[in-house]
Amino acid sequence: MCYISFNNVTKNFGNNTVLNSINLEIKKGQLVTLLGPSGCGKSTLLRCLAGLEQVSDGTIFIDNKNVTNLAPNKRNIGMVFQQYSLFPNMTVAQNIAFGLKMQKKSKEEINKQVQYALELVELGGKQNYYPSSLSGGQQQRVALARSIVTKPKVLLLDEPLSAIDAKLRRSLQYCIREIHEEMDLTTIFVTHDQDEAMIMSDVIQLFNAGKIEQSGSPVNVYTSPVSIFAASFIGNYNQINGTEFSQLTGMAVQENYTIVIRPETITLTKNKPDFSDNCYILHGTVLGNTPRGNVLRYKVQVNDTIFRVDALFRSFHMFENNSEIFLSIPKHDCLAIANN
Amino acid sequence: MTRNNSLLSKIFLIILSCYLLLPFVVTLVYSVFMEWTNGIPSGFTLRNYTLLFSDIEFWLSIGRTILLCTVSVLFTIIILLLAMYVVVVENNKLGNYMQFICMIPYALQGVILSISVISLYSTSESILSNRILMLFGAYSILVLPYIYQGIRNCMNSIDAKMLLEAAQMLGCNKFIAYIKIILPNIIFGLLISALLAESIVFGDFVLANNITGNNYQNVQVYLNKKMFTSSGLSSAIVVVIFFVVFAITGFLLKLQNYRKKG
Amino acid sequence: MKYLSKKIPYIALFPFLFVVFCYEFLPLVELAISSLTGKQSGSIGFENFIRIFTTPLYQKSIINSIYISLFSSIIGLIIAFLAAHFCHESSPKVQQRMAMILNMTSNFSGIPLAFAFMILMGNTGILTLLGKNFSIPFLDGFNLYGTDGLMIVYIYFQIPLATILLIPAFNGIKPQWKEAAIILNANSFNYWVKIIIPYMIPSLLGTLSVLFANALAAYATAYAIVMNNYALLALQITSKYKGDVQIDKATGGALAIILILLMVIATVINNYFMKRSVKGRSII
Repeated sequence: MCYISFNNVTKNFGNNTVLNSINLEIKKGQLVTLLGPSGCGKSTLLRCLAGLEQVSDGTIFIDNKNVTNLAPNKRNIGMVFQQYSLFPNMTVAQNIAFGLKMQKKSKEEINKQVQYALELVELGGKQNYYPSSLSGGQQQRVALARSIVTKPKVLLLDEPLSAIDAKLRRSLQYCIREIHEEMDLTTIFVTHDQDEAMIMSDVIQLFNAGKIEQSGSPVNVYTSPVSIFAASFIGNYNQINGTEFSQLTGMAVQENYTIVIRPETITLTKNKPDFSDNCYILHGTVLGNTPRGNVLRYKVQVNDTIFRVDALFRSFHMFENNSEIFLSIPKHDCLAIANN
Repeated sequence: MTRNNSLLSKIFLIILSCYLLLPFVVTLVYSVFMEWTNGIPSGFTLRNYTLLFSDIEFWLSIGRTILLCTVSVLFTIIILLLAMYVVVVENNKLGNYMQFICMIPYALQGVILSISVISLYSTSESILSNRILMLFGAYSILVLPYIYQGIRNCMNSIDAKMLLEAAQMLGCNKFIAYIKIILPNIIFGLLISALLAESIVFGDFVLANNITGNNYQNVQVYLNKKMFTSSGLSSAIVVVIFFVVFAITGFLLKLQNYRKKG
Repeated sequence: MKYLSKKIPYIALFPFLFVVFCYEFLPLVELAISSLTGKQSGSIGFENFIRIFTTPLYQKSIINSIYISLFSSIIGLIIAFLAAHFCHESSPKVQQRMAMILNMTSNFSGIPLAFAFMILMGNTGILTLLGKNFSIPFLDGFNLYGTDGLMIVYIYFQIPLATILLIPAFNGIKPQWKEAAIILNANSFNYWVKIIIPYMIPSLLGTLSVLFANALAAYATAYAIVMNNYALLALQITSKYKGDVQIDKATGGALAIILILLMVIATVINNYFMKRSVKGRSII
């Protein structure tokens, strides 16, 4: 069932352990995101799979074949790099054709495939341009076309969108997702952007300091962080000291636990709400707010604790600074996580 | 303020240009006149040039110079491209050692390079004592820093390492990728540093004079010898050398401007 | 086996290493050994260096070399600073023309340059004769074949090189700096003293060290003008290996080592300043 598997993969650079005994299985046709802060080892794992780095220990299998010591050009993997990495001396068409030429395909076949790939990334008509005359987004589309045209077993994307400005990024995310679905291509995507990971992936693997911290579907990872790190990296969780929280609400919290609450689960009301069965009701003061598009983020003080609360931005229902308000926090949204 | 400045800068630059061009212009005028004693040259003649161009020794020295330039520069390019293959593809850490080795000749320059090579090999009994071989070897070392810098800058500017990785992911092996991807992308920059190296070898006197001397005269040694016999002829040689160097630098600048425009 | 096959590509290093070994490394080792082998005693030690530092001719050579190199570099640098500044302020067309002139004249060196100066300022040179006829103080009876003459020629070849090296530093000056300085109430004097000069100092010192090394190692120009009859390091070294007298590796080697040390000092200074001024992405 599983298509790619990493077994106890370890990578050291000198005395520095970048990957610490990683075990990971990826199913065929999935789009998996490796998410994490810079330096967490996510790119290194990708490069190990590509063969561009040698693992220090452990094995890697693709499609039941041990590829651990195979040269990168023998693995049949497509890869897109952060910095486009198009060959500057070749036109768009020549760039895309390069991998097919290496496979010794016939000329007609190459032409057909190049045309198809160009259409797929919406760059029809640009085949005779040189990379330097294209925009960053267009170059990355060419790189994408170049890496899928050889029908690789796996497509690796190493932070492909981080050099591209925000507006174009959306359309490229969409483009990648579409290609993934159209070609039923097993895809591994590395990013440090949690929003991007949410939008793109079937499965998120959250990395921290050379280990996989948490894996699961975007909804799962978003709503049920398993550690303080996961809660702070994803979803802007409020993190409140356990003892403090139990003093505020009376909830029984074990020692050395932190309560994490997503800002959008808290409801603010002017008057004390009646429905209090499943919620903790707290009384606080509004300190300030920040508009964030369709959401307004309030800073609310309850005793000595500050809560961040997200509410839909409706200008007639705004709360003034320093106004007294009530917070209702659903009990099942207060997650207790052990401190490290 | 701006107008004043621009007038001042114009005057300064014009005077400087005149000063810099003066030695050449004087030599040029000197080479085409019979006499120049009382401030005004007289008796226009091309005699110096006809004499020079009918001197077989001159043509031989030019031939040797061209041979020295092309062979030693080409040779250095080839050994450096081979060595850089290992640095770029196999082991980046060697880059620092490579740079150190290639920068040493900067501190040696012609004088020390020539005398140390003579000192080592002139008494040797082997093929290494061949003066012409010594000269080629020494020139290869002399141009090493310039060509190395050129290649290194090019490789960095195209991000050679990443292009190699990209090519490998497309099923290409490292060696083919180096030949098919890296070399075509640095060829232009390589040409520029090669031309720079050519102009250095072409203008060299000290290596040729110290190592081979009269046995294998290049054009500079030939000029030095003629200076004792005929100043008219010498001035013609200087003008010829000049035009060749001008041509090389002019071409070089054109290439550089072309590259800047992309 | 697998380990061995991984090392096969390293064969590509061999031609390079061979050439470097034969024509860079071994000659230098030989030079070092002969410099440390005493001329009279034949034993290892600093005998040659001690003799050099106590022989007036060699003392004079070292002093002359440093004096001429340093002085010509400083004069060249001052003129080049002005030239680069004015170039920077000129139109692109003027800049391009200047670039052409500078690049061409920077290649005008060695024997051809010496010859041109002989025609100009030699004993019967055009300018010298003009100087005599019109009694112009500096030119009348000017002696090209001595320290003054060498200085004039060295300064000449330093100017274009120095200007070429300084122009990029001027191009690095951002117009925003001046705007920012004006907004912060700096006058023109403050702008130059507090911003431009400190910014330029690494480039200036770096360039100075390149010029110094360039003059120190110059041989052909000096050789053509004064032959071996002048106390100059480069000339004295070569004369120990060439010419009518017996080859004297001991003295020549020791003199060469002194020259190398001076060059290394200049190069290290240059690297130090260039590293500080250039910050680029380098992978290899």
